[in-house]
Amino acid sequence: MSEHDAPTVKTADDPAFQLPASLAALSLPLCLGGLAALVVGWALGHTVNASFGMAAYLTALVYCVTLAVGSLFFVLIQHLCRAGWSVVVRRIAELIMIMIIPLAVLFIPIIASLLFGEGTLYRWDDPNYAVDNHLPMAAWAEKTRWLTPGWFTIRAIIYFAIWSALALYYYRGSVEQDQTGDKSVTDRLQYWSGPAVMLFCGATSFAAFDWVMSLAPMWFSTMFGVYLFAGSVLAAHCLLAVGAYVLQEQGALRDEVTIEHYHDLGKYMFGFVFFWTYISFSQYLLIWYGNIPEETEWFWHRQLGSWGALALILIFFHWMLPFLGLLSRHVRRNPTLVFGWAVYLLLMHFIDVYWMIMPETQPVEGAEYASMGGVFGVVSSMLCAGGMLALLTGVMLRVAQQTRVVAVQDPRLRESIAFENI
Amino acid sequence: MSENQEKKVHGIVAEYESVDSLLDACRRVRDAGYKKTDAYTPFPVHGIDKALGIKPTHLPWIVLVCGLTGTATALLMQIWMNAIDYPYIISGKPFISLPAFIPVAFELTVLFASFGAFFGMWALNGLPRFSNPMFTDPRFDRVTDDRFFLYVDSKDPRFDEGSVQQLFNETGGQHIQSVIDDDSSSKIPKPIFAIWGLIVAFSVIPLLIVLKMRVTNSSSPRFHVFYDMDFSPAKDAQQGSTLFADGRAMRPDVPGTVARGEVGQDMNFLTGIDMEELDRVDSPRAERLVNTHLNPLVPQDPDGNDDDEATSPEVSAQAEAAQEPSVMDTTPWLKENPLDVDRELLALGQQYFGIYCSVCHGLNGGGNGLVNRRARKILAQSWIPPSSLHQESLYEDKYPDGKLFNTISNGIRKMPGYASQIKARDRWAIVAYVRALQMSQNASIDLVPQDRREEILERQREVEQKLEEQAEAERKAEEERAKRAGK
Repeated sequence: MSEHDAPTVKTADDPAFQLPASLAALSLPLCLGGLAALVVGWALGHTVNASFGMAAYLTALVYCVTLAVGSLFFVLIQHLCRAGWSVVVRRIAELIMIMIIPLAVLFIPIIASLLFGEGTLYRWDDPNYAVDNHLPMAAWAEKTRWLTPGWFTIRAIIYFAIWSALALYYYRGSVEQDQTGDKSVTDRLQYWSGPAVMLFCGATSFAAFDWVMSLAPMWFSTMFGVYLFAGSVLAAHCLLAVGAYVLQEQGALRDEVTIEHYHDLGKYMFGFVFFWTYISFSQYLLIWYGNIPEETEWFWHRQLGSWGALALILIFFHWMLPFLGLLSRHVRRNPTLVFGWAVYLLLMHFIDVYWMIMPETQPVEGAEYASMGGVFGVVSSMLCAGGMLALLTGVMLRVAQQTRVVAVQDPRLRESIAFENI
Repeated sequence: MSENQEKKVHGIVAEYESVDSLLDACRRVRDAGYKKTDAYTPFPVHGIDKALGIKPTHLPWIVLVCGLTGTATALLMQIWMNAIDYPYIISGKPFISLPAFIPVAFELTVLFASFGAFFGMWALNGLPRFSNPMFTDPRFDRVTDDRFFLYVDSKDPRFDEGSVQQLFNETGGQHIQSVIDDDSSSKIPKPIFAIWGLIVAFSVIPLLIVLKMRVTNSSSPRFHVFYDMDFSPAKDAQQGSTLFADGRAMRPDVPGTVARGEVGQDMNFLTGIDMEELDRVDSPRAERLVNTHLNPLVPQDPDGNDDDEATSPEVSAQAEAAQEPSVMDTTPWLKENPLDVDRELLALGQQYFGIYCSVCHGLNGGGNGLVNRRARKILAQSWIPPSSLHQESLYEDKYPDGKLFNTISNGIRKMPGYASQIKARDRWAIVAYVRALQMSQNASIDLVPQDRREEILERQREVEQKLEEQAEAERKAEEERAKRAGK
């Protein structure tokens, strides 16, 4: 039924399905370099002030978490709608999503700063916060019923437990099928995908409220979880395209991942660029129109000084430019261009997360409070994010060495290889 | 075949039994250089575009242009409506307020793009079309079931019946046929026109009704299509409401809050009294003033001696002013206007003075406003003439700014208080303007800047000359009258 002849599926042990040695060799250097960069970045941020160092760390962490949970969502959705096209790239998403487990370990410093810091990172943890800011005590009493270090920690454990359990369940099922070729595994994974998505939504939304929104304790936006999720799912599709492209460059999956798959990933990137815009603008529009000080405060801080410049960058370069750039089918059917846009959007997503978190750092001594902490501050943020990304990539490559880069026994693998866009 | 010759041959069609044979035939036809071709299948076949050499459609460009037209239409429409044709402030936003326009722009972009996609697809496919000569052949019915057809149009520049048939034969095509129109009439049946005519006629009726209503008068009440848009449920000023215990729709300030634009207006500012000084000389009164300010709706302790009727600091001060005038002198009034007196503030003061004060006190503060003149004319018995503001006893050294502010706020003698009508800041602006007025009456020319002095002296001369002329004319008229009386 196709222009092409029926595809031949290579055997499970074909080298095209193994992690290329050139990438595997990067694992240890990435781990060590990443860890060093992360520590140096945090220390550098600490010299700006204590809250700045922790906020730079949190930015890096939230950025990596959005990539991992976005990939988890991708895997869940492919099972939920029994997608055939995506099988050749699904394993890449599976490898990214289990990075949620090392991320849970990397979350410990956040908990530590909360338990021993008294408002270093989360200002609501400062016992004098309400009095210093003349907050209405009745409202504050309600807030602090939810925002306590203990309960915050328990909730973080719950979120990581949900994500890790889902990620492990789907990863193990897929890897098990590599060995056994048992088709019932696919049935089982599909069966649980519905409840899994629901659990995922709850955990992701509340994590966004807890970890990012509560940085401004009196501010609230019920769609904040969706806002972070929109960027997360966009970034996950970008990372998939990057992963597939890099693997192909290094010799794996050359016959499996075709232009058609890049075309589909490109379509999703295009669609989620607009989804992100739609969600973030909806959030902005309601708050802007209502014009109530307690709601506009969040955007007001983010329109001052350099944060205002970042806000404009988000409008023009997180939406308009990629929207126009990905509009054409010819761009989306060119793997190199899709790869380029994917890298670009991953950078934009980082700016988005940075813009959400960093303006809430406490005033920098002797500088305008809307500044980014000077050269040290910017370098520290970049080192933290780059370091954590490198560290997790190193760990992921190590995991990928133990398995294959494609779900070789998936019943829909042949369909996926033969996939064509109409 | 003889019949066929008389009719127009649209093209040639061949039938295939499998997708693979069809795809193979497609490739052969493509490679033979035919451009105007088409394939018909019961289901979408991947890769058939490529096999037939069909170029990508232009539809995306149509959709893009339509979408951008939608965006532009929405933005221009809203700018025209809200900022040019009928400038209207909504929610305190600017006339051209981009974020508020985005939802409409988004919707119209989607709408126009969808129309572009739908109708563009029609146009590119030559639709609507009532019949297609392909349907003439009953074998073609199986295209929705289990057969595949390949068609070459006679308009193709390379078309030649014999060679196309031969090509189809070579590729295993069966039932190779010329596509011709069937025998039925190609004319549209008459009743269809009648139905169309009726539909058009009926659809014009609502428009005609609207047009008629726009150009004729009617004595019957207006028909309200959107009742709640004609009669907004929002309350007007002074209306009653069952929602609140006090029955009023207008709400007083919530106790303990500060209204927008009134931040920093302390008790001194609101009363014109130096409260710290008052606290020293008359602590209970200071306390009373503060309490009534904090809880304007709660009557103060009735045992609290002299102002048991007091419901506001202003009224209490007024009561004191009426009963114990000496309090007016012992109160430590603010000596200076708490606002920075600049041109802008004076202009504001002039505006409010013109609105509220000038009707009695006159535009120049001389005490001869319109109301006063009218009262004099009708010889109103109880009329107490308003003070001239140019008496020495009202000058700054004898009548401090704070006291003047208090008088404006709470009234004096027959003059009512204006605290409920004029905001505190505007009352201070009036105080500043009154000072300017007072200064204007006895000012020396030395106070005028050098460069404008000549201009003023010029005008002074003009006025004096006019006054002289007037006096001259009056004197003459008097003489005339005297002469006439003498005669």
